[in-house]
Amino acid sequence: MNRSATRAPYFEASIPMTDSVRAPATAPNEPVDANAPVDLPNRIDIRDLDIYYGDFKAVEGVSMTINPRSVTALIGPSGCGKSTFLRSMNRMHEVIRGAYVDGEVIINGRNLYGPGVDPVAVRRKVGMVFQRPNPFPTMSIADNVLAGKKLNSKRMSKSVAAELVETSLRGANLWNEVKDRLDGPGSGLSGGQQQRLCIARAIAVEPDVLLMDEPCSALDPISTLAIEELMLELKNSYNIVIVTHNMQQAARVSDRTGFFNIEGTGKPGRLIEMDATEKIFSNPTEQQTQDYVTGRFG
Amino acid sequence: MNDFRSNFHEQLDEVRTGIARLGAGVTELVPRVTEILLDGDLEGAEYVILGDDEYDTRSLELEEKCFSQIALQAPVAGDLRALVAAIKIIADVERSADLCVNVCKAARRIYSHELDGHLRGIIHKCGEQAALLFKEATEAYLNTDGPRAAALNDMDAYLDDLHRQFIQVIFESHAAGNIDLQVAVQLAVVARFYERIGDHAVNIGERTRYIVDGWIPDQPYRESDNDIPDSAETATT
Repeated sequence: MNRSATRAPYFEASIPMTDSVRAPATAPNEPVDANAPVDLPNRIDIRDLDIYYGDFKAVEGVSMTINPRSVTALIGPSGCGKSTFLRSMNRMHEVIRGAYVDGEVIINGRNLYGPGVDPVAVRRKVGMVFQRPNPFPTMSIADNVLAGKKLNSKRMSKSVAAELVETSLRGANLWNEVKDRLDGPGSGLSGGQQQRLCIARAIAVEPDVLLMDEPCSALDPISTLAIEELMLELKNSYNIVIVTHNMQQAARVSDRTGFFNIEGTGKPGRLIEMDATEKIFSNPTEQQTQDYVTGRFG
Repeated sequence: MNDFRSNFHEQLDEVRTGIARLGAGVTELVPRVTEILLDGDLEGAEYVILGDDEYDTRSLELEEKCFSQIALQAPVAGDLRALVAAIKIIADVERSADLCVNVCKAARRIYSHELDGHLRGIIHKCGEQAALLFKEATEAYLNTDGPRAAALNDMDAYLDDLHRQFIQVIFESHAAGNIDLQVAVQLAVVARFYERIGDHAVNIGERTRYIVDGWIPDQPYRESDNDIPDSAETATT
């Protein structure tokens, strides 16, 4: 297949987004070396990224490669810019007036911030799950799942819609719990179920990358474990990047971990170290990382 | 810098000093059991043998403390390395105390047999070098001193050499009719006990280096360097 032909229109709104560029379906569980860059679709290359809110530089000089079919965790103290960095990966930070970036975020050979790239198209391919579950409260469970798809495409037949609802809910490990009440309100579910509903909604539009911004911080331990299990399943199909304050969660679910830190108030956050998760939590290279993960910082 | 886990880190310090205290005990025990062996001090041997229960009890307490800190504190990075290494070092210290007990048991078995000057000299040297190794290992661990710990391997090479000499002297003394076979066998295992104490000290050093920077040896931990003369003929040639 001529991959470049597929890449070219990747984020351009005028081209239909249905031709998703996916990792090969074969051998989905094939292990991937967490440290070696993998030449597969959906690899994310970030080059020298600075992120600004007006005059304030929030993040400085981040370069990293995020391999597909893996979970990448970003950790660091509050205010270090990790959530800002995550949001820059689907241009979500731009909803704040005056926010902009300098540098490149390249997915499938295309710079997200290149000329002619539609941020809305980017967000279709790079989905986001937020800290607090946010299902549309007046919509049914099924309509919540279909919400993104309905916004993006023309009318769907009932059978196609029903199939998509089931596939997405199964993908989010929620189907068995809600299959008998698909017409019930999404807000009637428990917190953990609502978060999985949001994940179903995110994967229904067939993104290539899933960004998760502290997805379990508002959940109880059992729901947290359910989401973590789900992440491990989803990484066979999606490139997952998660911001978490829970270092044990980063250790449990991620293949690679990036540690962000900030020198002081008003200074930009920087990526201090990125490596295999096992390395970060057993023998990190940087003293700052060692200090942070062992509780010595400030 | 703020330490947001100061209580946990105090617990880690307690584990470290507790192990160092046990290690210091073994460091003092080695020359003592050497004297017991050379003097045929039955009362002293009995005292050391009975005292080993204290080492076992303290070792278990320290191990349990490590396990509970792992379970409760979910340690990572340097803290995790410190606890994992501590569990292994406890075993090295406790086993070394057992080896001292074994020297005392050997002392009881060879009681009333005279040892010639050569044998007494080499036993004294082995005991001295084993004690020195253990002292260095304990202090390197207590101070988390990587370079000091790294020197232990070379120091152990000298003890291994003394071990070979010890075996040779046993062969020579037996060939000359100075000691009977039972004494020769007992002294051969005593030689082995000292050599093993040195190996445990080296292990402590290696685990200390692991705590410092995650260093692990290129080769698996050796059981021992057991390249000793294999017959009386070798000894007499």
